Amino acid sequence: MTSRTTAGPRHNPVLAELATGIGSPQPLGHDSGTLHFTVTAADLEHFTHRLAETAGARLADLFAATGDPPDQVVLNMLWALDADDAYLLIQTQLRGENYPALSDIAPAAFVEECEIFEQFGVRPAGDKPLNRVAVPPQADHDIPRLGAAPRHVDGEVHAPHAVGGHAFEFPFGPVRASAQESLYYGLVTSGEEVVDLYLLTWHKYRGLEWRLQGMLPDAALFYVERAEGLSAVAQAWAFAAAVEHATGLRPDPGASRTRALALELERLYNHAAAIAALCQATGLSVGQAGAEIALERLLRVNAAVFGHRYLFGVVGIGGAQRAPDLGPLQTELPEAVAELRAVCRLLSGTNSFLDRLEATGILTTEQAVRLGLVGPVARAAGVAIDARNQHLQPPYDDVAVHPAQGTTGDVLARYQTFLAEIDESARLISELARRGATAGGTTSPRKAGSGLGWAESPRGESLAYVELDGDGSIRRARLRPASARNWRAFDDACRSQNVFTDIPIIEASFWLTVAGTAR
Amino acid sequence: MSLWFLRGLRRGVVTTRYPKTPPDPWTATLPTPPSFVTDRLDIATADALVAVCPPAALRREGLELVYDVGACTACGRCLVVADGAAVPSGQIELATQRREDLVKRVAIEGGVQ
Amino acid sequence: MTSPVHGPAGLSTTSSHSADPERLADELSRNVQRWFGRSLHIRTIDTGSCAACESEIRLLGAPHYDLHRLGFFFTPAPRHADLLMVTGPGVRAMDPALTKTWTAMPEPKVVVAVGACALGGVYPTDAFTHGAIDKVLPVDVYIPGCPPSPIALLHGLLVAVGRLVDRVGAQPFTTTTTGPAAASPC
Ligand code: SF4
Ligand code: SF4
Repeated sequence: MTSRTTAGPRHNPVLAELATGIGSPQPLGHDSGTLHFTVTAADLEHFTHRLAETAGARLADLFAATGDPPDQVVLNMLWALDADDAYLLIQTQLRGENYPALSDIAPAAFVEECEIFEQFGVRPAGDKPLNRVAVPPQADHDIPRLGAAPRHVDGEVHAPHAVGGHAFEFPFGPVRASAQESLYYGLVTSGEEVVDLYLLTWHKYRGLEWRLQGMLPDAALFYVERAEGLSAVAQAWAFAAAVEHATGLRPDPGASRTRALALELERLYNHAAAIAALCQATGLSVGQAGAEIALERLLRVNAAVFGHRYLFGVVGIGGAQRAPDLGPLQTELPEAVAELRAVCRLLSGTNSFLDRLEATGILTTEQAVRLGLVGPVARAAGVAIDARNQHLQPPYDDVAVHPAQGTTGDVLARYQTFLAEIDESARLISELARRGATAGGTTSPRKAGSGLGWAESPRGESLAYVELDGDGSIRRARLRPASARNWRAFDDACRSQNVFTDIPIIEASFWLTVAGTAR
Repeated sequence: MSLWFLRGLRRGVVTTRYPKTPPDPWTATLPTPPSFVTDRLDIATADALVAVCPPAALRREGLELVYDVGACTACGRCLVVADGAAVPSGQIELATQRREDLVKRVAIEGGVQ
Repeated sequence: MTSPVHGPAGLSTTSSHSADPERLADELSRNVQRWFGRSLHIRTIDTGSCAACESEIRLLGAPHYDLHRLGFFFTPAPRHADLLMVTGPGVRAMDPALTKTWTAMPEPKVVVAVGACALGGVYPTDAFTHGAIDKVLPVDVYIPGCPPSPIALLHGLLVAVGRLVDRVGAQPFTTTTTGPAAASPC
């Protein structure tokens, strides 16, 4: 089905190297794109070092699950081997309340170490302070967790940040400008410059992973789409693919093209919205109005094609719940895209706009790699990762994607990445539509299994992992939208020689949601 | 900047005339909460609808389907299993000052099976 | 707590779609001004949305909807706000911020619950969420939808200021195989 024929260690020097002494990694579920192996807690540090030193290996996620017996915790470390079309899941049964401090080796693990501590009560060795991720400080009511609550919680810290010298802290949020999500900025400034910035994201944590436990995948999909409504398609696709890989379902080619059509429509409207937000943040109200006109037209195309402006309800387990109406893709979509391009052409010729974007919110390639960033933010910083062509799944084995890439890592490079991706999405949509797209296959078999799924959302790689019990219900579901990844670079981007009026510009260029990280 | 000005003129007026006119024609493509076809609704169908509705907008009380239009997300899942007993209502002007006005009691007239 | 706000008696509640648009818009913004003594200012607050409801609210200010023509404006300051649009299921961690925003608003104030989450449709009442906004604040207007489209939001705002009558109470949401039962829409 896929162009991937072998992903075994035989053909992959990295894996062969790693596997020495522990046997070959096995495919996870019915999916040759994800391999897994088990290492002991004693070997974990060693393997993390080896992977962290491997070029092309990227820490994609870290999460825990309840082990067997249930008072034990299984640590799941997920690495993406982007050059080898594979994900590698390393599972470790932990004993006791500590495990090696993985973020000392792979800094991208830090947020998840904090999260795992809150949810399962196990923490990295050493006394590194851990931040609050999801559990609010005023939670006098006992918040349900995925595992056991920590026995002892540190005081309020905002690691690795500290206020010193002449700087003072300027709190902002969680209620912000009109129609913005709730988010708290701890802005440390000396008057104008951004000395430091930290975010509190627990204000809207809804406990989704906890809610999904025990649900059947079809019912769970409803909540998965609502984890981050602005990437409903990508997150639902990742989740559906995880269930498919766990149970051996294969969506038919027409249904996989339906998903890809919806995914590209999702990218178009999100990029239009990001550009409108960039105009707003730079005070260019005419540009904002133009981009909003294009955005509204794109949302209407979504409704005309799939019956929902935000494309909820398109993806199904094993296929697609809805078939697209291809008519509007030939008539209204080209007009909406032309509208968007016309606005962008004007913007790209407006120096007062470009000047605000250039050299603002810079992320270096090194930072993007170290923090494991994904999506346009990573691509604009010169990291060529795109799940659509590095982790092949239908229909992308048939329909090649040419990803955008920048080098300078500033807001301007992100804007230009959006522009290139708008063109590429429009091209993909016509190609997919030409090949035909159908609905079909929307129930999952009631059987046990584990699987990983992925999709490239407008913000970058979305991941989902499921463990299903024998009756087909969810034992553990992990959702990892791109937002959960990229917010961790926001403070770095804001700190690089910026004044605080640049923050809204940087936020618009990241185009993340709080919902996705506080899911 | 003059380019921006010209562009502003060229755009013409896109603004909806609502509420002066009814909602624009494109709104016909929006998802809407279902209407139930009472004579096609039997208990088994009603129970299937209740089971499939993710946000529990539906519940059955005897021979009535209690339907909370406020809780309905217009997800369309009930339309799929209803076998013709539910159709989109086409209603989009649903706002109200009385929450209870959104709760409908639908008679199950298709008999007990 | 406030009593639900209804449009003051004597204001013409028009749902007719026939008058001249400019005149109607003028009349609307005049009525809004008469009632609130100035244009009507809207504050929004997110209590755990999926971000789609925010996106639709943002578009109210976009050229296709142009909320300003009807005399509504967004304001970031609760002290200047007459109307609070609340999205999300009422995540408990937002309680202090929600109460603070609501308390800071001057009387008379209107609370509009936006979307199925805010109306109790998506999340239950549990340790994370209240499950619906009227469990926390007195809600004056409910706008169903997931998310409610900008047109549905406009309708809700106009219902909130008494400019449109709500009609959903009269809709049975039933039909029969032989045709629509009871009252048909409009
Ligand atoms: S459309 Fe969805 S939410 Fe509404 S009643 Fe049907 S199943 Fe329930
Ligand atoms: S009502 Fe629907 S669209 Fe609005 S926040 Fe809730 S889930 Fe998202």
